[in-house]
Amino acid sequence: MLDDTIIAVSTPLGYSGLGVVRLSGSQSLSIAKKLFKPKNQSRKILSQRPVLGNLRNFENKELFEEAYLTFFSKPFTYTREDMVEISCHGSPVILEEVVRLGVQAGARHANPGEFTLRAYLNGRIDILQAEAINDLITASSLKQAKISFRQIEGRLSRTVASLRSQIIHLLSTIEASIEFPDEGLRISLQTTAQMLTRTQKLLKKLISSYDLGKTLSEGLCLVIAGRTNVGKSTLFNALLEKDRAIVTPYPGTTRDYLQEQIKVNDSVFTLTDMAGLGVPSHAVEKEGIKRGKKMAAASDGILLVFDASSKESNEDFRLLKKYNHKRSILLFNKIDLPVRMDIEKIKKRASSRPALEISALRGTHLDELKKMMHRHFVPTHEESEEVILHLRQKILFEEILSCLTQAQCLLKDGYSEEIYIEEIRKTIPLIGQLTGEIQKDEIIEEIFSRFCVGK
Amino acid sequence: MWENNLADFDIIVVGAGHAGCEAAYAACTMGMSACLVTIHLETIAQMSCNPAIGGLAKGQLVREIDALGGLMGLLADETGIQFRLLNRSRGGAVQAPRAQSDKALYRLTMKKWLEDVPNLTLFQAIASKILIHNDKAVGIETLDGTKILAKAVILTPGTFLNGLIHIGLHSYAAGRANEPSSLELSENLKNLNLRLFRLKTGTPMRLHRDTIDWARFKPQPGDENPVPFSFRTQKMLENKVLCYIGYTNTKTHDIINKSLDQSPLFSGIITGIGPRYCPSIEDKVVKFPHHQRHQFFLEPEGLDTAEIYVNGISSSLPLDVQQKILKTIPGLDQAKILRPAYGIEYDAAAPTQLHPTLETRQIQNLYLAGQINGTSGYEEAAAQGMMAAINAVLKIKGKNPFILRRNEAYIAVLIDDLVSKGVEEPYRLFTSRAEYRLNLRIDNADKRLNTYGYELGLLDEDDYKRYLNKQKKLNAVMMFLEKEKIQTQTNVKIPLKDFLKKPEVRFENMLEYTKLDVDLSDEEKRFIESEVKYEGYLKKQEKEIARIAKIDKEKIPESVEFHKIPGLTGEVAEKLKKFAPQTIGEAKKIPGMTPASLINLHIFINLQKKEEIKNVSRGTR
Repeated sequence: MLDDTIIAVSTPLGYSGLGVVRLSGSQSLSIAKKLFKPKNQSRKILSQRPVLGNLRNFENKELFEEAYLTFFSKPFTYTREDMVEISCHGSPVILEEVVRLGVQAGARHANPGEFTLRAYLNGRIDILQAEAINDLITASSLKQAKISFRQIEGRLSRTVASLRSQIIHLLSTIEASIEFPDEGLRISLQTTAQMLTRTQKLLKKLISSYDLGKTLSEGLCLVIAGRTNVGKSTLFNALLEKDRAIVTPYPGTTRDYLQEQIKVNDSVFTLTDMAGLGVPSHAVEKEGIKRGKKMAAASDGILLVFDASSKESNEDFRLLKKYNHKRSILLFNKIDLPVRMDIEKIKKRASSRPALEISALRGTHLDELKKMMHRHFVPTHEESEEVILHLRQKILFEEILSCLTQAQCLLKDGYSEEIYIEEIRKTIPLIGQLTGEIQKDEIIEEIFSRFCVGK
Repeated sequence: MWENNLADFDIIVVGAGHAGCEAAYAACTMGMSACLVTIHLETIAQMSCNPAIGGLAKGQLVREIDALGGLMGLLADETGIQFRLLNRSRGGAVQAPRAQSDKALYRLTMKKWLEDVPNLTLFQAIASKILIHNDKAVGIETLDGTKILAKAVILTPGTFLNGLIHIGLHSYAAGRANEPSSLELSENLKNLNLRLFRLKTGTPMRLHRDTIDWARFKPQPGDENPVPFSFRTQKMLENKVLCYIGYTNTKTHDIINKSLDQSPLFSGIITGIGPRYCPSIEDKVVKFPHHQRHQFFLEPEGLDTAEIYVNGISSSLPLDVQQKILKTIPGLDQAKILRPAYGIEYDAAAPTQLHPTLETRQIQNLYLAGQINGTSGYEEAAAQGMMAAINAVLKIKGKNPFILRRNEAYIAVLIDDLVSKGVEEPYRLFTSRAEYRLNLRIDNADKRLNTYGYELGLLDEDDYKRYLNKQKKLNAVMMFLEKEKIQTQTNVKIPLKDFLKKPEVRFENMLEYTKLDVDLSDEEKRFIESEVKYEGYLKKQEKEIARIAKIDKEKIPESVEFHKIPGLTGEVAEKLKKFAPQTIGEAKKIPGMTPASLINLHIFINLQKKEEIKNVSRGTR
């Protein structure tokens, strides 16, 4: 048991700028080399010298994430064994992939605390130190660092470049028709409108992806709400049962509501159980209610739980109305018992929110619930789409969109080209803030490379 | 001191093209004595290429030249044989007049007008050298050794500097077809450390009118109500000719493609860069191979000549290929070439070597204007000639220079682009180069520039008075439009102005609802319409301009160490150190300054100010 090489993610799972995967054991380096390709092939991997390279999926030979690999040769290491640290961006997805590949390559997933155990067993630390280290680990918080998904950023630049060339194309087409009235370059209003619409669509997609970006960087907050005794805590625990993420609680927060993170597919949800708002006593209750309201308001979505084994009450309808404006899923719990609630009646008032019948106790339909949560709350994100991660970018995109929307309106109202093109021209300095400035010469150049004009 | 001396003048203008003529006229009208030196008196104001004045952006330039008191507009009206207002269906900001001219009449009339200008001496000679004393231009020398002295020299040699004509693989030195080129002068300029580079342009063939089958082409008539170029033109203008539209075809393109090895451009003989917007037919065919046809226009060069200009088929292919090309076009198959098409390479001087007054940085009192600065077009040349002369005169008089701002005139856009950015290929004005296009219109050129023209002494008293009366009248009309309300279909009462703002309403429509107690010319109606329709944008632009002007005035303290400003490249910091601008506005004019650098500079200065304020208040405690 102590002879094999272990591997584990050493940094807390969650989103952060940096993540580290550690290996310890005699096979550390040889296993790590399978997962890693140095940028400079001729570079030798020496102890304590970080080497830059890419992570490699040796199954399909694909290179992904850039990373640093540092080899620490025994005995002067934490565990007194050979160790390897692989540092890369702190995406839980990537870190877990590295571990998976490591296991495929012959390592074993470390048990909790196993690194420290080996350190102790190898005489590196004593028992007091081992405990202290544990405290340190459990007390440390997730650092909320800025995300830079490098792959995603690369794609974002390409999309912005595409936006830029669409604007140049638009401007040059309209300018050409203005500047060369004798040369048959007049374009129809329809064509111009279509070009504008195309760019507007691109912008709308980019802007909406900001929400996903925010989600990925901060995680989605869901609140489990409902009357007392509908089974909120049961549901909470049932969801946590298999899917609890290995995290530590946020620092500086009081534990008067329960909050835990679960992972569903690629997304991390922070679940809040409002049932943990303390034993009802007059004074405490008020505070609890206030805090509950705050939580719900700040959340990204609600899991609204009903007790299907009781008849529907006014309270249920009130809750429905209360959370009407929020993205939510209706859950009719306790279907392991005879159903007494008129589920259809509630659904009718629910303005077509998704609904599911479950039994938190028995675990019935919980898998479907997780899928639904993913479908309903996580903004859709296809591999090829962009994710804007910075508010600054989102604001710029919104400004550009409003210029184009204004241009579209003016065009439809019958205003002349030189007027609505002013709106489009306004996007030039805005795009300049995202990417390079569009020079006037670029537009003129575009005109002359696309149109055979000039006498 | 100087032998063989002709005389002394205030200003010498070398070259009597469109730039030179405006320069000479302006200088004399402002009270100077000038000598206009030209290789041939017959070719004063010769139109080398297109027998036309105006067009998009160019028409606006002519209006501006006219508003300042220049000649081009008056001359174009006087000698025009067909007039069109382009973009009539669009708004005033992109409308522009264009006129076909009688080429011979144009130059003869210009010559006559110039002969009548007091204090202007026309002189036929080939300039070979700029005379320099203490880094200042003091005159010129001609090929026969004559020296002419002056306080300032304005050089407007067009395409004559080291001009080289190409027809097919043959080439010979010439400034324009068979006119001598200026080799000596070009050498001289290089010796004066002026940076020259090579440009290229071309011109189409001229055909004999009677050998064309006109029935094959579509006529393009002039406007029913011709719009004059000049605000001062009183007479009614007439269309006297038709132009015709034709197209090349795939057979034409085949011939061209097969003959590219005989093209000096494609065989690499021509090194100069040509204008993209005046492409030769071979350029067009090679760049757009999938186009089945290319348009051209048949334009008469005058009333008393049989020469027809083929606008759109400029070329430097050999003569026999040019003939083959014609044979493929029905209607031109029998056409006789009177003048072959040709390409011409010439020296131009990098305009970044100029101050915004068009004076060179290297040699004081030497001004460059026109094609030598890398521009193409008669109008661009005329505007520069005029501005160079105005500034030369102001300098002689010890007054502040006359520099227009980009929101005031296309002239400013032109000169600012040249001097700040330089050129890599022949520069032509486009309306899209103007950020303030909505304000730079033909209908308000007088409003923007007449006062300048009058104060400079270029616009005479009567014309200026007429302008002032016009302004009074128009202001009254605008007030009337703001006050007078009409009932619309929805039974709401809105002021006439708001009604006119609607995109579907034109001035004439508005007259159906109300009566004006003044008579407005078409031009004046255009003005009102534009002012009303663009009002929102114009107001916003004014705010923006005021904001920029405020920033421009910001002083750069002498103590600023440019190298310490974060975000400035070493190159930019060096430039700032070298030019030592005193205000942000001056810094802007330094060639190569980027907007980002200016922002950094601006922010840095303001932060410093805040620091100083903090320190001062600490100190006084």
